[in-house]
Formats: sequence, C-alpha cells, structure tokens
Amino acid sequence: MSLHALADHPFAAPRSLAEACALLAERAARGERTVLLAGGTDWIVEQHLAPAPAADAPLPLVADVSRLAELRGVAERGDAIRIGAGTTFLELRRDPLVTARLPLLAAAARDVGAIQIQARGTLAGNLATGSPAADGVAALGALDAVLELASVRGTRRVPIAAFYTGYRRNVLLPDELIAAVEVVPPAPGSPFAWRKVGTRQAQAISKVALAAVAELDRSEGPGARLTRLGLGMASVAPTVVFLPEVRALGLGRPLASIDDEALAAATLAGISPIDDVRSTASYRRHVAVALVRRFFESLRAPS
Amino acid sequence: MRIVLTVNGAVREVDVAPVARLLDVIRETLGLTGTKEGCGEGECGACTVLLDGTPVNSCLVAAAQCAGRSVVTVEGLGSAERLSALQEELVSHGGAQCGICTPGVLVSAAALLSRGGVPTDAEVREALAGNICRCTGYQKIVDGVRAAAVRNAAAARGAS
Amino acid sequence: MAPVVGQAVPRVDGPAKASGSARYVDDLTRPGMLFGATLRSPVPRGRLLGVDRDPSFDWSGVTVVTAADVPVNVVATIERDQPVLAAGEVRHVAEPIALVACEDRLRLERALAHLTPRIEPLPAVLTIGEALEARTAIHGADNVMKRYAITKGRGRDGLTGCEVVVTGRYETGAQEHVYIEPQGMLAWWEGDDAHVVGSLQCPYYVQKGIKTVFGLADDGVDVTQATTGGGFGGKEEYPTVVALHALLLARKSGRPVKLVYGRKEDVEATTKRHPSVVEITTGCDRDGTFRAFAARVVFDGGAYVTLTPVVLSRGALHATGPYRWDDVSVEALAVATNTPPNGAFRGFGAPQTQWAVERHVDRIARTLDLDPLDLRLRNLLRSGDTTATGQLLAESVGAQRCADEATWASGYRNRRGAGPVVAGRTARGVGVACFWHGAGFTGSGERYLKGRVAVDLLPGGQARIRTASTDIGQGTETVFRQIAADALGVPMASVDFAIPSTRVVPDSGPTVASRTVMVVGSIVEAAARELAERVGREAERSGSTRAEAHERLAGTPALATCEKQYEPPPGLAWDDATYTGDAYPVFGWGCDVAEVEVDLDTFETKVTGFWTAVDVGRAIHPVLCAGQVEGGTLQAIGWALTEKLVTRGGKVLNPRMTDYIVPTSLDAPPFTTLLVEEPYSRGPGGGAKGVGELPMDGGAPAIAAAVEHATSLVLDRLPLLPEDLFEASGAARSGGGPA
Repeated sequence: MSLHALADHPFAAPRSLAEACALLAERAARGERTVLLAGGTDWIVEQHLAPAPAADAPLPLVADVSRLAELRGVAERGDAIRIGAGTTFLELRRDPLVTARLPLLAAAARDVGAIQIQARGTLAGNLATGSPAADGVAALGALDAVLELASVRGTRRVPIAAFYTGYRRNVLLPDELIAAVEVVPPAPGSPFAWRKVGTRQAQAISKVALAAVAELDRSEGPGARLTRLGLGMASVAPTVVFLPEVRALGLGRPLASIDDEALAAATLAGISPIDDVRSTASYRRHVAVALVRRFFESLRAPS
Repeated sequence: MRIVLTVNGAVREVDVAPVARLLDVIRETLGLTGTKEGCGEGECGACTVLLDGTPVNSCLVAAAQCAGRSVVTVEGLGSAERLSALQEELVSHGGAQCGICTPGVLVSAAALLSRGGVPTDAEVREALAGNICRCTGYQKIVDGVRAAAVRNAAAARGAS
Repeated sequence: MAPVVGQAVPRVDGPAKASGSARYVDDLTRPGMLFGATLRSPVPRGRLLGVDRDPSFDWSGVTVVTAADVPVNVVATIERDQPVLAAGEVRHVAEPIALVACEDRLRLERALAHLTPRIEPLPAVLTIGEALEARTAIHGADNVMKRYAITKGRGRDGLTGCEVVVTGRYETGAQEHVYIEPQGMLAWWEGDDAHVVGSLQCPYYVQKGIKTVFGLADDGVDVTQATTGGGFGGKEEYPTVVALHALLLARKSGRPVKLVYGRKEDVEATTKRHPSVVEITTGCDRDGTFRAFAARVVFDGGAYVTLTPVVLSRGALHATGPYRWDDVSVEALAVATNTPPNGAFRGFGAPQTQWAVERHVDRIARTLDLDPLDLRLRNLLRSGDTTATGQLLAESVGAQRCADEATWASGYRNRRGAGPVVAGRTARGVGVACFWHGAGFTGSGERYLKGRVAVDLLPGGQARIRTASTDIGQGTETVFRQIAADALGVPMASVDFAIPSTRVVPDSGPTVASRTVMVVGSIVEAAARELAERVGREAERSGSTRAEAHERLAGTPALATCEKQYEPPPGLAWDDATYTGDAYPVFGWGCDVAEVEVDLDTFETKVTGFWTAVDVGRAIHPVLCAGQVEGGTLQAIGWALTEKLVTRGGKVLNPRMTDYIVPTSLDAPPFTTLLVEEPYSRGPGGGAKGVGELPMDGGAPAIAAAVEHATSLVLDRLPLLPEDLFEASGAARSGGGPA
C-alpha cells in the first residue's frame, strides 16, 4: 500500500509521440526505468499493492502519454482499421467504426471493468500489462491484430501472436511503446462471439473469456467452410492464447465435418489453466471447451 | 507542480505532486471530502468523479493528468440546501442508506442523465455497475435515478 | 397533527449524504494529527518473542506502541481472553502486535516495514474439523468455546418410531461485511480524558473497552459516532479495538491520531460471519407432518471468544426453522481456531442454521416427493403453537401470510409446476424459503441491559431524542423522529436527534439484534408520550396553550427531560440454565421466492427475480423498511452465490474487492418487496417489530432451491460457486471434455 510513494515519482509529460520516443530512448540508454502512464488502471493499482519503496530506492519516471493525439483515434487505412493504442475502452465501445465493423471489440470493451475503468483503460495498457485475463487482448487476438511498436529507430509491426513471450512478458524493447493496433475487419455481418465468464456481471476479472470471429463461405450449402477463423482466450494460460490448434482444425474444412470431440481436443491443446483464487483448472478446461463448442454450434446453425 | 483545472465549475490553481492521486488532491488539497475512498483500487466506485464529463475512479488518476481539464465532484451536483432533482429523487426513493457510496453513485448517474432521455432499468444498472453499494440492493437506486430522469425530461419539455 | 408514522417522509440525513457534506471519520482532522498503522502477525499461531526495530531506520517522529504500553491488555467483551496487542503469543494471522504513528504517511509505511515481529511458529488449528479433532488444543482440552443444548418433548428420542427419517449435513463459509467505509477512529486525549470519534455501531461498547484498558470512569471517556458508512454487525465489537489502538498511539505521542484501515487490512483483520457445519436428522409422517428434529450445530469462533457465545445462541434458537416440531434436540457448540475472531454479522448465527434447516426441508420434500411449498405450509408455525424452547406464540405470527403473499406475487406454483424452463443451454428455476427471526436480545438480555433513552423538550417548541442507538444507514434518525413526533404531537421538523456521544446520550444498549426500532423505539415512544402528558397536564393546570406549556417545561430543567428505561413485556420468562422459555419477545417472519437462470455449460447463476414478503409488525417508514429488506436480501444473495473467503494457512488470499466478490447493480435482481403487517402489541408506532436481520435468513436457501429446480443439482454448502455446481454435475469427472 505504497500509495503515498506515488507523490515522490518524477514526472514528465511528453507533448508528442516523437518526444515520448526520444525520452524513452534517452532513459533506456542510461538504463533508467520509465513508466508510461495512460489510464493508470493497472499501474496505480500495482503501486497500491506494492510495499513502500525504501527511501533511497530510485523511482521510475512516470511519463503521461494519455494526451498524445497520435496515440488516439480510429481510422480506416486501406483494408484495415487502425486504432491508436491510447484509445480507451469507452471510446472503443462508442466509436461508430468499431461498433459497425469490429463489433467483437466493442462487445469486449463493454465487458472491461465498468464505465469508470473503461473511461481510463486503454488498449496499449491492456496489451503492455499483458495480464493473462486481459479481455482486450483476447479480442485483438481473435482479430489477428498487428501491433505497431514505435521508437526513435522507427516503427516495427508485430503480429499479436508473436508479442507475448511469457507471463506478463513481451517483445517490447525498453525504448519502445505501443503506438497503434491494426485490424482487418471481418466481412460485414460475419459471425463473432464474445463470451466472458467472470466472477460477476461487471467489475469482474475473467475466469475464462472467449473472443472469436469467423468468415463463412456458404456457397456449398451444407458444406459451409470457414475462410477466416480467429480466436483469443483469456485466463487459461500464462498469457492470453489464440488457440492455433482450433484454427488449424476449423479453417477450410466443411463445418459439418468438425466434431465436438476433435474441437475439445484442439481447445485443450491450446490451454494450460491453473487453480487460483478465482477458479479451478478443471472448471476452466470445461468452460473453455464449452465456449468453443458453442461458437461452432452457432456457426453451424443456419443463418 | 502547479496545475490549473476547473473544479465544479470554478477555475482552481493548485500545487500538487504530479503523480499524486486525483482523489487525494480533491479531498486534501481542495478539501472536498464528499468524494470517498472505499478500496483504493478502482473496484468500489466510491471515489467516482467526472473528468471532462466522464465518470472515472479518482483513485486511479494522476493529478497532472487533470491539468486544464474539468472535474466535477458530488459537491458540484447540488448543495444540501439546494439538492438537484437527481439527489432529491435518489434520497426519496431510498437509494441512500449509509451514504458512503452515494456521492459516487450520484456522479455516475449524473453522467448517465446528462445524455438525456429516460434510461431503462438495464441502462441505469449498467451505468452504475462500477459503484458498489452494500446497503440498498440497488433497486431503490435504480428507481431514484429513473425518477430523476423523468423529472428532468419533464422540466426540459417545460422549458422548450 | 397528521401522523407521520407509516409515511415515507424525507430521510433526515439524506441531504447531507447526497451532497457530500456528511462527515465520516476519514473526513475529520485535528491540528497536529498523526496517522496510525498496525503491525500484524504473519502467522496463525506462534510464540511472540519480541518486536525488532531496524536500527538503521530513522525513528525520529515515529511513535511505536507494543503490549508493554497497554495499561490493562484486554479487549473487554464477554470474556477477557483477547489482548489489545499480542503479548507472548499470537493466535491468528493479522493479529495486532504493535502500533506505529507518524505525521507523514509514507514514512509511516516505511516505519512499519522496519518493525519485525520475532515469532516462533506453533502448529495451528484452522478448520472446524481440526478443532473438533483436538490433536492440537488451543482452547481448553477440546477447543470448545461454548455449548448449548435445547430440548423439547422427548428430544432426540422423538426420532424413534417416526415414519420417515431424513439426515443431512449443511455447511456455510465465512462472509465479509464489505461495508464500503472501512474501520476507522480518530482519538485524542484532553488531560486524562479519552476522546474518540469514529465509525461504529455501539458507542457504549467502545466506552466499556476504553474504561477497562485505561482504568477510566464513565465521564473520563467520550465516544462519539461519526457518520458511519455501513456496519452490518462488522462495527459492533471491532471498533473497540480500533479505538483502543488509536488512543494508545495518541497517549504515547501526545498528539491526536487517526487510524483508518485500508480495504485489504480490513478484510484480513476484522471479523467475519461464523463458518458453520450443521447436521440435521428429522422424523416426520408420510404425509409430511413434522414430528422430531435433532441437530448438531458447530460454529467456528476464531481465535478469541468475542461475541461467539451469543451468536451461537441465536443460531441454536433458530435451528428448527419456523416450523412446528413435537420433539426437539439441538446441540450447539462453538470451537476455537487460529483464524481472526468471527463476530457479529447481520443475522447473528441465524442465517447459518436456517440455511441448514431450509435445505433440509427441501431434502425431506425430495424424499417424500412432496412440493417444497406444500411441505412448508403444512408445518409453518401459527399463533398458539410453541417453539423449541416452549415459547407460546401468542401474537403477530405472520409466517403463513408471508408465504401466501410471496408465492402468490411470484407465481411460484405455476412456475414450479411447469418445471424448469430450458432454453438452449440455460435453465430457469424457482425456489422458496421460509424463515423467522427473533427481534431484540435473546432471553433475559433486555432485562439485564436496561436500555435507556432520553427525550428533552427544548425552547421554541422543539424536542430532542438522546439515544445511543446509532444510524449506520438503516434510517434510525428518521424513524425515531417519526415515532417521537407522533407521540409528542408535534411536527417531525421539531424533533432533533442528538449525535450519539457517550457524554450526551444515555446507554440505550447496542445497535444490534434488530432491536433498534422495536425495543429502543418503544422507549423513545414511551418517553415522548410521557412528555406529551406533562405538557398536557401543565396546559391544563395553568390554563395555557400546549405551546406555552411546552415553553415553560422546556425552561424547567427538572421537567424538560424524560429519561426512560426499557420495560420488558410482563410475563416473559426465560431460563438460561435449561434454555427454555420465551427466547424473544416476538419474531419477524418471512418468505422468499427466488428465480434463477443457470448456464448449463458454465454453471453461472443469475438471479432473475426475487420476491420477498416479510412480517415487520408495522412499517414505520415503508421505504426505509423495504430498503432494509432488499439490502439484507442482496447480502444473502452474495453469500449464496459469490462471496467466498479463500484462505491458505490461515491467511486470506482474496482480501480485496477485486477478488472477494460482492454483487454489482447488474448482479442484483429486480426486487418485489411485500411488507406484511401483523402488529406486535408492544411495538412502537402501532406494532413495529425488528427488521434489520430478518432478510438475511431466506435468500441463500431460496436460491439453492431454485438452482436445484433448474438443474437438479443438490448443493448443501455455501457459497454455490459455478465451480461447485460443475463438480456436482459430474461433468468434472468426464475430464473436461464435452458435457
């Protein structure tokens, strides 16, 4: 509960993305830690739980990036939609482009915390904190988002599936920040699923959450096939997972030929849940399988 | 650092630690103790204030992030002597018991009502889902907020 | 003057609370004030060898208090086993060991981090099972803190020869109050006089604790209630500890000290609802007529006795449920464990045993293939029946009416008869529970307590109520004014309510046990009536108006005040030795119907409708009264479905609101609340009975019954987490594959 140490932190408010990158580069070169503060819904809570730092311990610089215009906004870019990483969940769920073209993301945003958290929490924060329970990451994973990582060295693009390297670990370098995510929206009207199984209806951390999108080629009638399939699942592994085995099983094959048993096996192959204070491994396995099965059932149902 | 912000409609200049919590600035620097701390980690919503019109947990906002912005606390909704329709209806419908969550509930509800119209029960419940009340069972809060919306709508019709 | 009793008048403290001007303890400050913090035990049991101060830390300006600084190291409740600060041994995780105060809160935290208790761990007893095994003895030889036995008729022998005998075992877990305002006190000394103001239910409990520790007389202590952000029993006994700690720091530092808990500390250290195990065996006729009831009730008291004997007593007295039994045997015991003391929580033991008996009645219905409602209606207590303690129920028995109203309003019979409604992968079901709750203190409690209230006539036609019954959100301030205004024949606006402060208000007894309106309210009414008579007599004597007579009395100190003591109803008889007689002056009654929707894949349960009918005697303020009912019911719903305190090695693993899950507005059902009025002849305002705790009793079993109706899964342990339903469904054994 070292909230009182918050006031001791050095602070900077870079006025542009370039300035933020320069600041990060400078400090990274000196081996100094920088906290990029946007909504504070993770970092400030972490400070609350942490013991008081020793009086002589160096505190990280807190750099406020919540007002950088370059990190905000939703726009079409070619076939894709580019979302500034500093966009809040509340902005996402109210954005006309997101609600029309990325309803999955809008639905997930609506289930993050409650309004107060949605108003502050950002995609970048959700991605960078990298909680295994991150609802936003599951949704972006199902959409196969590509992350734009910016630094003074330029921008690199990293597919979300390549971003995490372990529990709360990712490929971000000390001088980099997440500037944007880019998503190719599914064809209009494509089926999707967002199902959060939490501890309650709001203000909940997921026990299991499934995000899924699909595009269906129904030209063959009962032999409908998936031409696109994306899944993201939260709280079933050290990181949010994207269920590659289920994707491999589902893509291109006639839907009718995919049986529940194979689906269950593929789901279980992609997860490694544990018992913790919120749920049990066996319950999570059961729910994970059920949610994926339900999504496929909804795909098989005549539209 | 010195920051200038608008608090309940008045421009205020305050000297703050930049990463101090907005909650502490409101309660201690500005002396507005209507905003409460129930958990300190964005779970209970007792510290809810409006930041540029949107409800936020002031325990999770850094002071410097509020420079140049507008903050509305429960004190900005109406005084004990001159309650707003929302405050009055919440109380008369039994939506306030111990009162510790009430400021946050009112601020969240005010944001909802500012969007106009009369929200459904479900809309009120969603708007207040970040404000934990342990006393009422919520039904009476929902009833009070909806009654206020009806009253506001009638007043708006009367005015137009 | 039109009566205000029965009217939903504006809540008196509403404007202050709705505008943010109401002052809670954390809003208060005093010049030179320090902040306090508490060093706590990291282990559940051990020998405390000392407290080490890191010599490298700068201790200037830091006050440290240990057991050596405590004049009389005891928290005075029922027994004197709990120290103010641990000395020689620690008996539970988070037990207070030392106190620190400092002007700067960051330095305070650091100081706390540089203070280390030296503890040699000892084997701990952490569960009811371990306590009963008594391989490690931590309380006497058998770990039993308290025992009661209730016997009616042939007792357990009544089971012999019954046509149908049914046995079951029922469990409940701990429940945290989660008052949104954590515990807190501000303390200072003026010479040898102790002053505390803070968040509390019972000013005189705190006063007694302070007097004992510091050897002070009544007038050497001033305990004042700040506006209190919820209590639910959690601020009945525990605030004494916080007050003592703050006073110790204030005494040693010579400065005012504010000690306010953070949420995590509050959940880790303060009291919880007693976990319980109840085993019931019953005998009945084939047609469902109840005959014999035998139960063994075991509560987990935690590390110190605190209020456990009284909680256990209430649990035992409600164990039979609101039903007629010819023969009864209840054996109740509380055991000690190395967990924080469990304590008062709305319902005070009764929700645990009524959870058990209601689940058991459903078990009987299942066994006999009877409708659970029909079975209940056949056996509900009526006027003229006697309870397990032999108490004749002479009046105000609304059990049947409540059952009728709740089941009618909810359409229970149709819904139940139609079977569960399965749509896709969800199923809806309904369940019913009947319950009762003794209002006021148990047995001779009120007789010993001698609760007192004063009402003063003040100049300007005003009057003032002085009582130690606190408003912690229930609406006491408003309801007492209503009662007094009608009794005095003056407008409500003319009646003030003195801030509860032990130097100003007489000891009305604690704010507990659903006694505030019924017991203390009746003293308010009696005192106000007597003053009204005085005014009337004076007007008659002097031939003046009542208003003039009021002014004259108000100016005459000997006549301006009426202080009254509670008069227990005549004829009430209770024998503490045999546990027989009139356990309570009267009972509140209720019936809940819950409708739930269960996801058959994820086993999430959503309460989609809730109908509750409660017999409150007379609703002084219908809106506030219904507010008590709905709020209590939602706490019961949380206890039933989400609220689980997860512990390991005696340590709470989820001491945060992130992981200890109370319902949000989206989790709460729409409530239909029906106030049934079967007036109690001795109740104020035309017959009011207690209502505070009653609504805690029915929610959990009604929900479990509804879940059973929806899914056919029978669960007898609270809470009913999705994980538990999943395990019970058998899907777990199929290896997590498709169900």
